[in-house]
Amino acid sequence: MQQLEFEEFYQASRDVCLKAVLASVGDRQLAEDLVAESFTRAWMSWHSVSRHPAPRAWIVRAALNTRVSWWRRRRREVALDRGHEIADTTASDPGLDSALLAALRRLPQRQREVIVFRVFLDLDTKTTAEVLGIAPGTVTAHLSRAVTTLRDQFISADNNPEAGS
Amino acid sequence: MNSHDTQAAAVLDAVKDSLDGVTMHTPVEQIVTAGHVRRRRRRLIATATGVAAVTGLTLGVPVLSSPPAGRPGAVLSTAAGSVHIRTAAFSVDSYTDGTVHVTWDKKRYFQDHQGLQQALRDAGFPALVKEGVFCQGPQDNGYLDPSGVGPGVDQVMQGERQGDGTVVFVFTPSAMPAGKELFIGYLSPSQLAVTHGQPGSVERLVSTGVPLTCTTQPPPPHGQA
Repeated sequence: MQQLEFEEFYQASRDVCLKAVLASVGDRQLAEDLVAESFTRAWMSWHSVSRHPAPRAWIVRAALNTRVSWWRRRRREVALDRGHEIADTTASDPGLDSALLAALRRLPQRQREVIVFRVFLDLDTKTTAEVLGIAPGTVTAHLSRAVTTLRDQFISADNNPEAGS
Repeated sequence: MNSHDTQAAAVLDAVKDSLDGVTMHTPVEQIVTAGHVRRRRRRLIATATGVAAVTGLTLGVPVLSSPPAGRPGAVLSTAAGSVHIRTAAFSVDSYTDGTVHVTWDKKRYFQDHQGLQQALRDAGFPALVKEGVFCQGPQDNGYLDPSGVGPGVDQVMQGERQGDGTVVFVFTPSAMPAGKELFIGYLSPSQLAVTHGQPGSVERLVSTGVPLTCTTQPPPPHGQA
């Protein structure tokens, strides 16, 4: 019974969680690995995770936390120390808007996390604040700044046809 | 809704829509099977530990000697040689079941890694803790699992999340294989750039009494060691 319940949760939530994590990490394969690991942990603790007020948020939060310990897989990002900003690991993945993912990755981490939980998981401001451990007003402020930054980038790109080519 | 709100909604819709075609390929069977395997492994360890305790066997086989974190009945030890240390960065406590329970402040623990190393050793747990330096023994193949943990570490060190969200690490000195110690390598502040400042570390068992090969180069990606 529990397994059936978990399987239904997985089928209904996996793509949403994957998109949320992908928006944060910017790497399709890494995101899939992280989400799979997170769902595995959820299944192992399904008794408690299933009672979580926002199980999808649990999955995504756990995936993003797991990423911290997967840092060595991200050798490309070590290039940060050598002056490169962010490695584009999505260019070869068809179907992904690499320019938009790159724009997300350029956002400060907290703004990106707010986008992940508010937009991709459709959490309200209060729940997002609880998940991230910040005040609801801070969530609103981060979201507003993120929107402004993204809008400016899109407008800039639209006005410059050569941008991103 | 004013024009600003409309623009904001449009931007966020565009962001969300941009990943519309993304789907998860991992089948649920793979997830469930992986969870079953891990559960069975935990039960095996817990059961074997209980048998060993009842029969009074000397715990000589590492895989059978690691108690589950938070074992019922274990309380703070007041026996001679027990250790109870509280610092701003970490706490180390000996328990009556022979385990050593450790908590640490994620933001501070790397500031006193030598203190943590000494506290663990004082509690009877052989450990080598470094920051920004990664060591391995001559026989170590360098393998690390996706969590940055080498073979056998889960037998001597287990993490358990508490109800308040903190994580208690339970170290089991009796489970440490002879001639081995636990190496913990924390990311240095400059290396933390790759984790956006959040702490990261590598744990592996290394041999004692032999020269270790240490490097400031972080270990290679999983599967490429």
